Amino acid sequence: MTIDNPAQSPAAHAVDLHKTYGSGVAAVHALAGINVTFDRGQFTAVMGPSGSGKSTLMHCMAGLDRATSGQTYVGEHEIGGLDDTGLTQLRRDRVGFVFQSFNLVPMLTAEENITLPANLAGKQVDREWLGYLVDQLGIKDRLTHRPSELSGGQQQRVACARALLGRPDLIFADEPTGNLDSNASAEVLGFMQQSVREFGQSVVMVTHDPHGASYADRVVFLADGQIVGELAKPTPDKVLAKMRTLGS
Amino acid sequence: MWRVTLKGLLAHKLRLTLTALAIVLGVTFISGTFVLTDTLHNTFSNLIGNIYAKVDLQVRGVAQFSHTSVGQTATRNPIPESLISTVEAVPGVKSAEGGLTGYAQFVSPEGKAISGTSGSIGLSYDPDPDLSSLHLVAGSAPTGPNDVVMDAGTAKKYHFSVGQQVKVLLAGPTQTFTVVGIVKFGTADNIAGASIAAFALHTAQQVLDEPGHLDDINILTTPGSDVTTVQNAVQAAMPAGVQVVTGKTVANEQTDSVDQALGIFNTALLVFAFISLFVGAFTIFNTFSIIVGQRTRELALLRIVGASRRQVFRSVLAEAALVGLVASIIGLGAGIGAAVGLEGLLRVFGITFPSASLVFRPRTAVIGLLVGVGVTVIAAISPARRAVRISPIEAISLHQADAEISGRRRLTIGGFLGLAGIVLLAIGLAASKLPLVGIGAAAIFLAAAMLAPVFARPVSSVIGRPLARWFGTPGQLGRENSMRSPKRTAQTASALMIGLALVSAITVFGASLSKSATSSVDQAISADLIITNSSQSQPGISNSIAALVAKVPGVTVTDTAYDGQVQVGDSLEDLTAVGTSTLAQTIILRMQSGSAASLDSGDLLVDATTASSKHLHVGDALAVKYAKTGTIEMRIGGVFATNALLGSYVVSNDFFLSHFDQTLPIAVLARTTGPSVEPAVTTALAAFPNAQIQSKAEFEKSQKQQVDKLLGLVYALLALAVIIALIGIINTLMLSVFERTREVGLLRAVGMTRRQIRSMVRVESVILALFGALIGIVIGTGLGVALVSSLHSKGISETSVPIPELIGFLVLAALLGLFAATFPARRAARLDVLAAIATD
Repeated sequence: MTIDNPAQSPAAHAVDLHKTYGSGVAAVHALAGINVTFDRGQFTAVMGPSGSGKSTLMHCMAGLDRATSGQTYVGEHEIGGLDDTGLTQLRRDRVGFVFQSFNLVPMLTAEENITLPANLAGKQVDREWLGYLVDQLGIKDRLTHRPSELSGGQQQRVACARALLGRPDLIFADEPTGNLDSNASAEVLGFMQQSVREFGQSVVMVTHDPHGASYADRVVFLADGQIVGELAKPTPDKVLAKMRTLGS
Repeated sequence: MWRVTLKGLLAHKLRLTLTALAIVLGVTFISGTFVLTDTLHNTFSNLIGNIYAKVDLQVRGVAQFSHTSVGQTATRNPIPESLISTVEAVPGVKSAEGGLTGYAQFVSPEGKAISGTSGSIGLSYDPDPDLSSLHLVAGSAPTGPNDVVMDAGTAKKYHFSVGQQVKVLLAGPTQTFTVVGIVKFGTADNIAGASIAAFALHTAQQVLDEPGHLDDINILTTPGSDVTTVQNAVQAAMPAGVQVVTGKTVANEQTDSVDQALGIFNTALLVFAFISLFVGAFTIFNTFSIIVGQRTRELALLRIVGASRRQVFRSVLAEAALVGLVASIIGLGAGIGAAVGLEGLLRVFGITFPSASLVFRPRTAVIGLLVGVGVTVIAAISPARRAVRISPIEAISLHQADAEISGRRRLTIGGFLGLAGIVLLAIGLAASKLPLVGIGAAAIFLAAAMLAPVFARPVSSVIGRPLARWFGTPGQLGRENSMRSPKRTAQTASALMIGLALVSAITVFGASLSKSATSSVDQAISADLIITNSSQSQPGISNSIAALVAKVPGVTVTDTAYDGQVQVGDSLEDLTAVGTSTLAQTIILRMQSGSAASLDSGDLLVDATTASSKHLHVGDALAVKYAKTGTIEMRIGGVFATNALLGSYVVSNDFFLSHFDQTLPIAVLARTTGPSVEPAVTTALAAFPNAQIQSKAEFEKSQKQQVDKLLGLVYALLALAVIIALIGIINTLMLSVFERTREVGLLRAVGMTRRQIRSMVRVESVILALFGALIGIVIGTGLGVALVSSLHSKGISETSVPIPELIGFLVLAALLGLFAATFPARRAARLDVLAAIATD
């Protein structure tokens, strides 16, 4: 159920994106000319073997890293021309992040972590939306706890709430279930899926787990810094099969 | 293991550089002090040695007192001039020249009294170039009654040349002389800052107010004669009370007295050097604690691959020793520079020393290295022991929390140490034992540092609250950061605590001293005008001033005060003399028993403090030894309430003048009909530019200024300790920023701007600084009050806690904290977001 609204720009897209480390013979092309579009209201998984460039792609598109050449857009904004402050504000206001680990500031409570970007921006927190989110995520009674008092799954759910609170153009999730057991993984992935279905949130998730990728609406496969395939409405088997063809 | 240590050192270059800086500064201070005092010692002993090198024998009065004041030569009576011919008649004496020293102060062409930084010396010019300590660089020796030779320093500074007229202020009326020659003292332009006016012997006797007398006679023996034989022969010809000693003896005595003075100077500077190092030790301790904490995994891994506990321990200590060694060596080198700088500074103040190359003794290097390395290693012992306790399993366990070890034990030890410190301090203050006071204070500081972690969380929380509100989320994060590791916060703040405790204690002491001085002026003097010498180093004024002042219309009463030293029992005491007829109108003497009138009958008055400590009562007899007249049994005629401006003992002027040779008044006090009289007094004293005429208010102010000057010097010396404490804060912040790399990365990723990161670090730094300052000010105020109350009987009767100043220190500490955060904040803001969040 892709919501493709032509009146709106995509959540993010990249045009001929290159990222090169080093130069000359020693040059390593982490991204070698990538064109990709992440649509609004879609849950996209990015897969690929180690060193395929999937993390680099995410970092460049989220304004965490700069591409060597090419353009990157979040919403209609070209982010290549932004300075550090501009990029910071972009991340704060238009992008949400869920990392594999170390997602939360240890000395802040769960609630303070969730509202951190809004507080940093000096913006009013939408209490109603916050209440709904923590309810849905099942962390309502954990809000006054510090990260060290939360389980890994709870920590990731707090991170999800933080990412969602600002209704960003796009949420980037970098191996969000990498450190979780299968139950906790299913909860987090299920919620991401739900956020896309129910709130029209756009999510891009980097993963190497075929089962995790099956929660997505679409899977993009990367190898050697290039997009080498795509799969719509994936199932774990289809993803595995596709990966096998790429590997051979 | 050795290689691991070295690699560890190289890996932590930056933080160790900052740590080392604390040691470098402390050792610089120590070696600079030693180099300077050794150089001065050498300079003076060479100088004195040269002066007396050719003097075979000296005839002089015997020392009158069994003790001498530190840094001064013994009090001797003058000898009759007639002894010269007696000496000359002794076989084996080739020549004998009399010498005399006293007060003579030049007046500049603009009419100002020229005050040398350490006095204005008048002396007789010894025409025998072999015996004279002065040598002419221009003109000729003084011969006539109007001739004077001047030191090259004064001549250069005031552009005097040979043939010029110069006014000279003397014990008697001011006289005008012709400069016939310019002299140097050895190779120096003056005598350690004191100006020299040298006259022909007979002129000197007149102007230095010792007609017919000499201080000493220097003797050259005929070549080939045995000096000891001649010495005995001369001694046999001398009357009682006159001794004959060798030139070498005189040189040694003078060198000893210079060394005593240098010793005090040396000790005073070293005290501040050790304070700096003490503060530095906290910085080192803290740095090594944090480094060991951060290297837990690495050290545990070393244990897994087979390093023994002992090897881990030694590795950490070796790292400390190496840092200490390198820092100490740099400090030793820098100390030489510091000594040169200090000497240059003294020269700016007009104190010139005979040119001499800097003296760097092996002792300086040994002490500098021992102290530098020792402090570093001792400070690292506790962190090293913590490193030893790391179990190998911690290498593979995920969480790397600060091991909160033995909190209760620390509290017990801290509490015990604190009590011991307070007891030591109390005993030290009560018994005036400075080393005990120092040890007590050090124990209190250590205890405070050990107990501080208990307060760190709540206090940081309170201090941080307004900051968090002011700076929003970054402020709140900074506050949280300062609260998350109370031990680290406390350790870092401890260094600043010590610095500010000392500064506050000195401030309380100074304020109390100032207040006591001014209130005691009010309670000591009822005169309207006080006339003293404008130069601190030259307390006396001409004895013709009192008469001139008395003649001014509107002056109703004048009184003259003198002071001198006497020996009571085994100790030297200050004796003050006042005019009895006008005493009631000029000086407030509150008699507790007896009467002031008894002064007229030659009785002695004693102040209440001395009376009670020596159990003296009215009517008792006390043996007082005078240099001129010997021991006199004096009746105690009264006990007066301790008066800050009078000595412990008071006699009448008449009595004083007949028992002392020195007749320069220290002050003339006058009662007038109104403030309008002051200009007339000034006019009347135009011939005495060294006379400073002050109203009571002005006199109070100048007393206060003296205190402030001293305080300023102490603040300057304590500044180094505060700087080292700041380095400690910078270091901790750097280490914390490094440790929180991932956290900073996360904050940046979710939208914290660089500016907000900087604010966060700054707020943490300000909280650290304020926490340290707050404890320091509280402890320091306590120390200051304790110090002052122990000195109540010594004339510091008022306790004053200057709240505005103390609040000022708090503000200053906050600013310093802000400053200390500059570099760490910049570093945190520059952290690469990607590197920070990259997953393993």
